[in-house]
Amino acid sequence: MNANRLKLLGILLLVATALVPVFAHSRFILHMFTLIFFYIALSSAWNIPVFGGKMSLGHAAFFGLGGYTAAILYVKYAVSPWIGLAAAVLVALIGGAVMTLPLIRLRGPFFTLASIAFAEALRMIAIDWRSMTNGSVGLNIPFRPGFAQLTFQSGMPFFYISLLLAVVVVVIAHKIRYSALGYHLQASASNDEAAQALGVNTKKAHFIAFLWSSGLSGLIGAFYVFFIYVVEPNLIFSLTLFSLQPALNGIIGGIGTIWGPVIGAIVMTPLGEYLRFYLGTIQQGLNYVVYGVVLIVTVNFIPGGIISLIKLKVLKSKGASGSVIKTKEAA
Amino acid sequence: MPILSVRNLSKRFGGLKAINDVSFEILHGEIVGLIGPNGAGKTTLFNLISGILTPDSGDVILEGTSLKSFSPVKRSLMGLGRTFQIVRPFSMSVLENVMVPILARDPNIARARAAAFEILSLLRLEQYADAHPDNLTLALRKRIEVARALATRPKLLMLDEVLAGLNPTEISENLPIIRQVRDQGITVLIIEHLMDALMAVSERVLAMDQGALIANGTPAEVTSNECVIKAYLGEEDPAC
Repeated sequence: MNANRLKLLGILLLVATALVPVFAHSRFILHMFTLIFFYIALSSAWNIPVFGGKMSLGHAAFFGLGGYTAAILYVKYAVSPWIGLAAAVLVALIGGAVMTLPLIRLRGPFFTLASIAFAEALRMIAIDWRSMTNGSVGLNIPFRPGFAQLTFQSGMPFFYISLLLAVVVVVIAHKIRYSALGYHLQASASNDEAAQALGVNTKKAHFIAFLWSSGLSGLIGAFYVFFIYVVEPNLIFSLTLFSLQPALNGIIGGIGTIWGPVIGAIVMTPLGEYLRFYLGTIQQGLNYVVYGVVLIVTVNFIPGGIISLIKLKVLKSKGASGSVIKTKEAA
Repeated sequence: MPILSVRNLSKRFGGLKAINDVSFEILHGEIVGLIGPNGAGKTTLFNLISGILTPDSGDVILEGTSLKSFSPVKRSLMGLGRTFQIVRPFSMSVLENVMVPILARDPNIARARAAAFEILSLLRLEQYADAHPDNLTLALRKRIEVARALATRPKLLMLDEVLAGLNPTEISENLPIIRQVRDQGITVLIIEHLMDALMAVSERVLAMDQGALIANGTPAEVTSNECVIKAYLGEEDPAC
């Protein structure tokens, strides 16, 4: 399978996916696909700083900032959701800058831990700032269907909105990866001191990567709130749903690669939902046990993620040497 | 005006005087060798000049500008290039490794690719452009390290043991590279243990021992210097 045929296959898959609502009218199926698209977008946005080796477990912060901004503007100030989206990006960008500037010096696990604290702090603020956020009760998006209100009768519009969002984020991630910024991030992840000695301003590269990542996460969060009609601190700033999950998708799919988070989201979202429905009812938390086993097995036996298995297959069929894998996708 | 002046540079690590009041100058277009036994402070000196370490006292001056307040990134952009003794290739293809410093100066990918390929050809590395450095020999990885440093378009290039650990054939293959660097009009400061190799390329040699500069002269002068011989043989001599 060469690059062109892979590209063709990708386009065919995309077209087939876009046609799903034509054939499947089940609300459940559309909902599942929409959720997958949201997670593809969020996982890919999370993945941008990972090109530079910075793994955040606090992306719920940007997701939630975006969600809250759009919801508060719409519910409290009757601002159009479409303007709210722009405001959401702006607030998430500010959040990204505020978090990254002090934390950028921290390496590896220290950065990751600090990012968790940042998201948790925002969750606490959202609970306590009742006059603005309505506390733990949260804010409901009134059901007034219409394009201007970003609220729809059927599940179809959000299927396409989230699909478009996923495509846009993946394309941006791809552009960044193969730009000067992408190479600087990869160089910093390999050896930050050597990169600096070659004149690469690695701190600036990490900062810009985080701005892209947080801004996009804020946009996704804002759309998500209109998809589920509610914003509530424990949901939107949820550590498991929007900080850990995008990271797990990236790790299981293939960390620091373009397609890893996409594959991770496609595999893990239905699995997570399925486990929650069938195991979560037998014994609360049992779904997380199974989930944890999947994660441990992946990290132990296929550290390169699912994508490394696919690449191996493609290369074997081509009869190429193993070095190509490292060349193209190592991060 | 010298291209580089090192003035009364000192650096302590706890109780150890790693660099003790070192001063010297390097002129435009020179190839200067830096020798000394293990632990003499050669690499520490490179780290102080390139800004990875901050000196306790003293100053480094590049073409009349004090580098005191400049980060390693800024120093590299000002024309101070270096290689690392322990090679540090990035986890990407050889060509992409060389593209990284070029992209730090001009973000255009197509131009960076072309310029990187040119540098690879200069160092006869073009056939390894798409290879991953981990799969190459130490000799080739050392050459990539030089290619990457050259890609920063340095005025002064500091080479840290680019021949160490290589067999005689590899040395004879890599030695011309140092001359090629000079032929580009780049001033070179080179740390090397292999005296023959160093003598073959350098016009002037600095010798260090226990953090201090103990000799500065032509290769013949330095190798016949009493203090240098004693430093290498490990004798204590209060006169040195």
